[in-house]
Amino acid sequence: MPPTPPLLPQATLEKLLGRAMARGAEFAEVYVERGILTAVLLEENRIKSAQTGLSQGVGVRVINGSQVGYAYSDDLEDAALLRAADTAALIASGGGSEQSYRVSRSHAPSFYRVLTPLSDIEVARKAELITRANKAGRAYDPRVKQVTATYADNSKHIWIANTRGRFAEDAQDLCRLSVQVIVEGKNGERRTGFYGGGGRVSFNHFDTFTPELVAREAARQAVATLGAVEAHAGPQTVVLAPGWSGILLHEAVGHGLEADFIRKKTSLFAGKLEQVVASDKVTVIDDGTVANSRGSINVDDEGTPGEFKVLIERGVLKGYLYDQLNAKLMKQRPTGSGRRQSFKHMPLPRMTNTYLAPGDDAPEDIIKSVDRGLYCAHFGGGQVDISNGNFVFEVTEAYEIEKGKIGRPVKNPILIGVGPEALKNVSRVGCDPMPDPGLGTCGKDGQSVPVGVGLPTLRIDNMTVGGTRV
Amino acid sequence: MSYDQTAKKLVQRARKRGAAEAEVFLEVGRQSSCRVRDGQIEDLTQSTSKGVGIRVIVGDRLGFAYTSDLTEGSLNAFVDRAIELARAAAPNRLNGLPTREDLKQKRADVGVLFDPDVANLASDWKVKAALEMERAGKDVDARITAFANVGAGEHVSEVYLASSQGVSDHFEGTYVYLFASPVASENGQLQTGYGVDYKRFLHELEAPEKVGRDAAERAVRMLGARKVKSQRVPVIFDPRMAAGFVGGLASAASGDLVFQKSSFLAPLLGRRIAPSKVNLVDDGTLARGIATAPFDGEGVPTRKTAIIKDGKLESFLYDAFTARKARARSTGNADRGYNSLPSIGTNNLYLEAGDEDPEALIRGVKNGFYVTAMLGHGADLVTGDYSRGANGMWIENGELAFPVQEVTVAGNMLDMLKNVDGIGNDLEFRGSTGAPTLRFAEMTVAGE
Repeated sequence: MPPTPPLLPQATLEKLLGRAMARGAEFAEVYVERGILTAVLLEENRIKSAQTGLSQGVGVRVINGSQVGYAYSDDLEDAALLRAADTAALIASGGGSEQSYRVSRSHAPSFYRVLTPLSDIEVARKAELITRANKAGRAYDPRVKQVTATYADNSKHIWIANTRGRFAEDAQDLCRLSVQVIVEGKNGERRTGFYGGGGRVSFNHFDTFTPELVAREAARQAVATLGAVEAHAGPQTVVLAPGWSGILLHEAVGHGLEADFIRKKTSLFAGKLEQVVASDKVTVIDDGTVANSRGSINVDDEGTPGEFKVLIERGVLKGYLYDQLNAKLMKQRPTGSGRRQSFKHMPLPRMTNTYLAPGDDAPEDIIKSVDRGLYCAHFGGGQVDISNGNFVFEVTEAYEIEKGKIGRPVKNPILIGVGPEALKNVSRVGCDPMPDPGLGTCGKDGQSVPVGVGLPTLRIDNMTVGGTRV
Repeated sequence: MSYDQTAKKLVQRARKRGAAEAEVFLEVGRQSSCRVRDGQIEDLTQSTSKGVGIRVIVGDRLGFAYTSDLTEGSLNAFVDRAIELARAAAPNRLNGLPTREDLKQKRADVGVLFDPDVANLASDWKVKAALEMERAGKDVDARITAFANVGAGEHVSEVYLASSQGVSDHFEGTYVYLFASPVASENGQLQTGYGVDYKRFLHELEAPEKVGRDAAERAVRMLGARKVKSQRVPVIFDPRMAAGFVGGLASAASGDLVFQKSSFLAPLLGRRIAPSKVNLVDDGTLARGIATAPFDGEGVPTRKTAIIKDGKLESFLYDAFTARKARARSTGNADRGYNSLPSIGTNNLYLEAGDEDPEALIRGVKNGFYVTAMLGHGADLVTGDYSRGANGMWIENGELAFPVQEVTVAGNMLDMLKNVDGIGNDLEFRGSTGAPTLRFAEMTVAGE
């Protein structure tokens, strides 16, 4: 594949760095982004819309001590770019003069090879995926009433140059197919199922991860939970199915380990390095290098290569997630965790693919070990308050466990807990590690980035289940 | 070329290229913000942005493209791309822009949307406001040990709309905001309080000192929070939590979900669903409202729509496409940015104030829960089942007794509506959705 021609010549990037440093700052960075997005939506048996968009621009960041100036422009004319550099430079008030900077390309390994950029795949083929999903979803069961299917991709290319001489670039294609199915049972009872996936993959990913597979799984969830009973409110033993349940980890501990919260002392994990924060069965990893995963990055949005990082090892807190700014202020090393939604945003320390290392237990033994509890098979989303550690985790497909056997479906319970307490209550970890299918988008400070999660089958004791039955 | 000329020219180009109908939505904006930390500037951001989206109908087929690159060569290619996309889509005779009849509905006088004091807001003002919030927060209590965020900002945005249906119009608005999230700490527990205000006019913005102080008081009050036993009790949502609840209700009133029978409100139009004091209103014409605009995302004049009137489900919300499907009229609720197709959203949404003093609503509860923060998405709009993580204060004998965390509140939105037994006189807006204090006779709290 020939390299994508840069959106801006290297000389322009160097010129912008010089201008950004003109008032005597410590560091400047230019981030250039071009994304081509395509989305196709099907509902009520028809392709409702097909759309495509181009989003491109430049963000200039200037750092002086702990102070940051940021300006961006979607106008790529030199005058507009220089104005952005001058604006960002205002954060430094010292004297100085325009200096010259040279950057050189650094090469990073590639953890995702996409054969043809997704933007080059014909829209008709994308539309075909969701048409097939619709057909398979409706054929699954006569009780299926609605199928909504979406395919979306983004062929994004980033270039980052900074005053330390780094010049990194990355092509970050990303796609996702998702299907929602609504079924209607007796007495007008309606249930929803949702499934999907994708990643930084070639379009032929959907030859194996087929739209039929996705739609049937969404329909299966909806049908399986017809007749669901109200959830019991209060503490229960819960067993989480493997895979997408990793959002629990993402919410319960992941966010609390991001270095900005640690530096500002607003996370309950601040100052707890080398302390026990989870059961000794818990090892948590954040890995930006997982092949073709949705959360993977060859380089982060500051040009630092993606990394494999152990955050918690056998229950002991080992490390935090650092972007460049927080690493510098905390005298640490950046961990390839500086990410941003787009050129309109400053990078923040973020997760990539966050998962729990597998344990020894067979998944069926874990279920058998529970006398009375809740089996959580599929999940919606979650949210956390970093300071008090309270997190919620929405379960969309759940079953009662009675004497080690899976029983009746339970209506959408939510789980609530405090991060470290929940992790201390992890009593069994399955030997069945599983990544999620490529569904996750994480929000922080108004910025969304794609992430991966993963979990083996997991038993957590004494977890509070939200419900209506007291 | 001026932006309105650009918009019109793109419509003409699309028509020449074979579009039966075409509509261009162009946005231009500039924004700036500042955050502070420990008495100093933490960051300053400033930017300009723009973008344009085009919707075309070619033989009953819909295509949509957008771009942030407004150079001429790029714009021509983008019109062609929208037409190509339409040719790849499936025909649907309901596709189309709003009818001339929709577009010609009488426009209300929406008043002024632009405040020169916001448009010309000095950077120093924002720095000073942020520092005042930080100082006021710290002054509340020595246990305020950090701030997750504290800052201020403004943005100015212009919208241009042109279409083959004869629309050519634009408006310009200003927005100014404050945010503060102080963190209190004691005995290893951390609690964040959230303060925010968001207005079109500078003189309507709450005093920074008050935003900082209130947020800090909310954080300190939560120190020592604990779980309670699972039980069914009266539950009060403070105005911010009530605003979230009415936002969920309005989502369920989306004409699109209703038409697809994917909303629990779908079969209830014209029926009584709440006590008669419940009035839920969407008003795109509200004086000085954050979401007030002369027309919606596809040029239809905005208006005031009663969603729930005297407890009765009175109307759903529609854009032009869904209205055509459902044989209804657009309510001026097409919501969009340049990079998205219109979809149904709310304008200024609010629950009308009641006549009860919020203190009296608390005093009337012997044992119950006053909710001030929530986690999670909340409602399943298909079934109306509602379940969220909740923090707040436990009420004992009419007094806020102790802080509570790590519990959930759950119910069904229809039951919750029927159970509304108190509405405060303290309607407030901190954005485009507003609500007063709201009391439910009973919900399930899950805890120990």
